[in-house]
Amino acid sequence: MNPKTTLSKIVGVTQTAVGGVTMLFAFFIFYNIFDIQTTLGFAEEAVGLYLWTFIILGLLSVISGLFLVYEP
Amino acid sequence: MDEPHLKRDLGLVRTTMLGIGGTLSAANFVIIGEAAGMAGYAVVPIVVICGLLSLLTMFSYAELGTAIPLAGGEYTFSKVAYGGFPSFLTGWFEWLSNVFYTALSAIGFAYVVSYLFPEINIPLTAVVVVIVFAIINLRGTKETATAETIITIIVLAILAVFVVGAWVFLQGTPTTPESVAPIGIFGIFAATAYLFELYLGAEAVAAAQAEVKNPGRNIPLAIILSAVVLIALYTSVVVVAVGIVPPEVLSEQASPIAFVAGQALGPAGAVLVTVGLAIAGLAATNEAIMAQSRVLYAMSRDGYMPKVLCKVHKRFCTPHFAIMVGTIFTVIFAATGLVDFVVYAVNLGFIIGFSIVNLSVIKLRKIAPHLKRPFKVPLYPLTPIAGIAASIFLALFIEPSVLILGFELIIVALLVYYIKMVGYHRIRIAFGGVSLGLGAFIAYIAYLVGTNAILQSVPQEAVTLVLGFLLFVSIIQIIAGILNLLAADR
Repeated sequence: MNPKTTLSKIVGVTQTAVGGVTMLFAFFIFYNIFDIQTTLGFAEEAVGLYLWTFIILGLLSVISGLFLVYEP
Repeated sequence: MDEPHLKRDLGLVRTTMLGIGGTLSAANFVIIGEAAGMAGYAVVPIVVICGLLSLLTMFSYAELGTAIPLAGGEYTFSKVAYGGFPSFLTGWFEWLSNVFYTALSAIGFAYVVSYLFPEINIPLTAVVVVIVFAIINLRGTKETATAETIITIIVLAILAVFVVGAWVFLQGTPTTPESVAPIGIFGIFAATAYLFELYLGAEAVAAAQAEVKNPGRNIPLAIILSAVVLIALYTSVVVVAVGIVPPEVLSEQASPIAFVAGQALGPAGAVLVTVGLAIAGLAATNEAIMAQSRVLYAMSRDGYMPKVLCKVHKRFCTPHFAIMVGTIFTVIFAATGLVDFVVYAVNLGFIIGFSIVNLSVIKLRKIAPHLKRPFKVPLYPLTPIAGIAASIFLALFIEPSVLILGFELIIVALLVYYIKMVGYHRIRIAFGGVSLGLGAFIAYIAYLVGTNAILQSVPQEAVTLVLGFLLFVSIIQIIAGILNLLAADR
């Protein structure tokens, strides 16, 4: 495996993991797990917006990461 | 050997019941109370007006359904009229709306049942309902429509008992309306936009039109019959409801119609109506599973979705993969309760669908004047134009947060469309650009955190932790973006 491929795999896996964590974080915010809304000072009425923003950003990261992981 | 295909199994009665059953959601009988609070006794003519506005677009469904009797409903119409991304977007919203609508209907059923059995687990009940009706849908269209017919007839019978019983009660205790609209003309407009939802679902007939026998006759008849029956039903329910219980009291009830039944028919009446509404939730779930699977099937048939989704089961002749994929998404939404937030997406999707159907009628009359149309919209072009105006009117009352959600769903639709329709390398380049953009955006957020512009109330240790994480993510996104952009074209 050449260095560029190795780098792609590492970055891809990390980016996919970051995307997954971001989506998980969205659910933590939505359900206010660990009172995260208060901790981060998120307004309750904007929670839905945060939820969708984080889910979409997470999804983009996962797809981009998978491109690197499964590079032909 | 011939490939298995969808069978034309549905006669006029079953097709009509699909339209009625798909519309009779349990939630509709809750929003009637809230609308009564907005518009007072004017809620009665508003229900009729909403029905007539809906009928305008139903005429367009009937014309297109008979001219293009293929699976997919609005999506198929827009595919023929416009093609490309507009038709994909229509199908995307139609599918998503029906996925959310399925989850909502199942949860609505669970909530109504919880009035009688408070100990039940609502998400679990909703999930079980979705799975049971997915299996019925997998078994065959005829079985689905038969279940829908039986359920709808039971619901109609219960509601008829309620209306007649309440009407008899009303004759003995007349009430005098105090005001027509307690909060003026705006209240009436708001209630009209709000109550339009009562009639969403009848277009399921169009989604299943590839399976309707004698489509030239049965599709328009079923669509118009559904609309007429629904107008009569909702109007009579609202007349007796506001006749027995004043609108301001009605609007405060969690289950207004069950409350009215309790007043007019006693506790047994309240239980009967609750059972009826629960069954209505089942009918709507059943219909929505069928509608979403047919949209996915049609999009796959046209190459917008993976081919596997348009495979038809050899024995049952149903699009089993499309049903299963839709069911998985529905179960996830039903189990998490996320549908509470995305409920407005259902309305948005339907409004977009209605507009597209009316626009498609006008476009196809221009580009395909000789297309065989067993049914034609009366008073063309006034009827479809009035239908479009009604959709725009409804859109004016959509909350800004819903528009943001709609915008986000359009972005996701764009991504899915381009992933499927554009070559691998170009998509990768696009995602490289997206990653770079994300990296820059996250770096900007990190800058705001570092300069204490945001997260001011958060402890310093937590801010440092967030800052470090954001910088790390930003670097990863930028490197990933560069790697994707530099990928070789093979």
